[in-house]
Amino acid sequence: MSSHTKLQPGERAFNLLLLLFSLGVLYEAYRISGAGFESINSPGAFPVGLSVLLIVSMLVIIAGQFRKEKPNTRGALDEARQFLHEHFPLPIVIFSALAIGYLFLLEPLGFVVATPIFLYVAMVYLRHGRFVSSAIIAAVSIAIIYALFKLLFQVYLP
Amino acid sequence: MADSLAYFLMSWTDLSLLLLTAVGTFAGIYIGAIPGLSVTMAVSILISFTFAWDVNDALALMVGVFCGGVYGGSRTAILLNIPGAPSAVATAFDGYPLAQRGEAGQAIGLSTVMSVIGGLLGVLVLASTAPVLSEFALQFAPRDYFLIAVLGLMLVGSLAAESLSRGIFAAALGAIIGLVGMDPVTAEPRFTMGNIQLLGGIHYVVVMIGLFGVAEAFFQLHQLNVKPVRQNVDKIIPSLHLVLKFLPLSIRTSLIGVIVGALPGTGGDIAALFAYDHAKRSVKKPSRPFGQGAYEGLVAPESANNAAVGGAFVPMLTLGMPGDAVTAIMIGALVIHGLNPGPMLMVTSPHIFWFVVGALVLANIFLLIFGLMGIKIFAKVVELPKGILIPLILVLCVVGSYSLNSSMTEVYWMLGFGIVGYFLKIFGFQTGPVILGVILGPLMDTTYRQAMSSVGDDSGAFLLALVTNPLSLILSVAVVLLLLSNTPLKAMLARRKSR
Repeated sequence: MSSHTKLQPGERAFNLLLLLFSLGVLYEAYRISGAGFESINSPGAFPVGLSVLLIVSMLVIIAGQFRKEKPNTRGALDEARQFLHEHFPLPIVIFSALAIGYLFLLEPLGFVVATPIFLYVAMVYLRHGRFVSSAIIAAVSIAIIYALFKLLFQVYLP
Repeated sequence: MADSLAYFLMSWTDLSLLLLTAVGTFAGIYIGAIPGLSVTMAVSILISFTFAWDVNDALALMVGVFCGGVYGGSRTAILLNIPGAPSAVATAFDGYPLAQRGEAGQAIGLSTVMSVIGGLLGVLVLASTAPVLSEFALQFAPRDYFLIAVLGLMLVGSLAAESLSRGIFAAALGAIIGLVGMDPVTAEPRFTMGNIQLLGGIHYVVVMIGLFGVAEAFFQLHQLNVKPVRQNVDKIIPSLHLVLKFLPLSIRTSLIGVIVGALPGTGGDIAALFAYDHAKRSVKKPSRPFGQGAYEGLVAPESANNAAVGGAFVPMLTLGMPGDAVTAIMIGALVIHGLNPGPMLMVTSPHIFWFVVGALVLANIFLLIFGLMGIKIFAKVVELPKGILIPLILVLCVVGSYSLNSSMTEVYWMLGFGIVGYFLKIFGFQTGPVILGVILGPLMDTTYRQAMSSVGDDSGAFLLALVTNPLSLILSVAVVLLLLSNTPLKAMLARRKSR
C-alpha cells in the first residue's frame, strides 16, 4: 500500500503515533523491576533493547519521509478527510460497527442467538438486500458451526 | 530386523489400525483447516477417550491427526489468508496470492504433494538417524537456541518487502507483544499495565488470527463489488514435471524442517518460516516474485512443516523429550499406557518406535489420498460473494480466538489486532514480521536469560562461548553472514563482481 516515492495521506501522523507508542514502550520496559534494569540479565533488559530497536527503526522511517513527495492535500484537515475517504469507506465503518456490536452482544445473548443476527444483518447490508437468501445462509451457517464445534469437537462457544 | 519390520508394518496389515490411521488423518486435515481447532487440542481430547484403548490403536489415531492437522492448516491459509494452524503462517505469504490469481486448486494440490514428500522425508530421517539426531539436538545449549532465534529474526529481511526498517519495526513490535505477561525466570509482570488478565500473556494464535484474518476481512471490504476471482480447478494434481522441478527445494527445506522439528521447543511454525526464508534466498528465478504467488514460497514451508512432524518424534521417542506441544501430549499418552518414554524406550519397547514410524508413513499416504480429494469444492470457497464470505470469516475468527481459553478477552484482542493489522497494511508494514517476532521474541528472551545465567551474568564469557564452542561458532558465523546479506554490502559485492 505504501508508495516508494509519495507519502500517503495520514502517513506522517501514523508514523508519529508509532514513535510515541515506541517511547511509551521504552518507558514501560524501563519500569520493569522497579526502575530500570539492574543487570544485563534482568527481566527488563531484553524489553529495553527491543524498545530501543522500535524507536531507532521508527526514526529511520520518519527520516525517510523527507525523501518522499508530500500528498496532494491542502492542510491537515484536508489530509485527514482524504485519509478517511480512502481507507474508511462506508462499508468498512458500518461493518466495523456491526462487528463491535456483535462482540458486545455475544455474552448477553449467547453465540447461538447473536451470531445468526450478526450474519443476517451484515449479509443484508453487504449484499444490498437479498433478505431471504441471507436468512437461509445465516441459519445454515450457524447450524454447521454449532454442529462442528459444539457437538462434534466439544469446543466452548461464547 | 524382522521384528522391526513386523512392527513397522503392523498398522498396514491390521485392518482396525489401518482404519484408525485413515480416520485420524482425514479428521486431522479438517481440524487443521478450521481456525480454532488445533492439533494440540484434538490430541488432548483424544487422550481422554483413548486411555482405555490398546496403545497401538491410540497412537495410530493420534499420529494420523498430527500428520493431517499440520497439513490441513494450509487450506484456509491459501483460501482465506487465515492460517488454520501456526505452522501454516508462512504458507499464507504466497498461497493466498495464488488463490487471488484463481490458482487455489493448483496451490492446494501442490501443497498436498509437497507436504507428503516433506512428511515422508521426515519419517525417513526419523527412522535412520533418530539416535544420532537426538544426541545432536542435546548438544544445543541455551546460547545456541538464542542464536537460532536470532537467525530466525533475520527472516525479517525476507518478509519485510520494500522497507527493511518497517520490517524491523514490525518484528520488534511482535517480540514486545510476545513478552507481555510474566517474566519466565522471575515471574515479574512485563507490559501488563497492572492488568491481571495480561499476566498470562497474549496468545500468538490470537495475534495471528487478528493480523491475518480480521485485517484481511476489512481489506476485502474495499473490493466488495469486485467479482470474485474465478478459480481454475482443471489441473489440481501437479504434473510430474512440476513436482520434479520443485523436488530439490522440497528436499532441502524438508531437512530444515526435520532439524528444527527435532529441537525441543521448536516446531513446524518456526521450521516453515526458516524454510520460506531459505527459498527466498536460494531460488534465484522464482516462478513469480515471492509474496505475489511464487510456487516456491508454497513448496518450502509446506515441505518443512510436515517434515518437522518426523523431527518432533526424534527427541520424544529417543529421549522422552517433547519436540513440540503435540508430542508433549503424546508422551502423556504413552505414560498413561504404562510406557516410560525416555532413553530406555528404545531398549525396553522398541516396537513402539517402529510402530510409530510405520504409522507415520501410512498417515502420509492417506494424506496424499484425502488431501487431493475435495479440492474442487474447497477452492470454490474463494468464489463465494464477499458479502457472504466476510461476515463468515469474522465469525470463524471469533470462534477460533474464544476457543483458546474460553474467554472473551482473546476475542477482543483478536479484533484489536485486526484493526492494528489493517492500519499497518495501509501504511506498508508487513504483518509477517510481527508474527515472526511474536513467535521468536519469547524464545530469544528466555534462551538469552538462561545463557547469561549459565555464565554467571558475565557478558564477556557469554560472547566468548559464542565463538569457542564449535556449534555456537557455526551458528554465530551464520548469523553474521545473514546479517551482512541484509545490508547493502552484499549488493556492493555483487556489483563489483559483475564489473
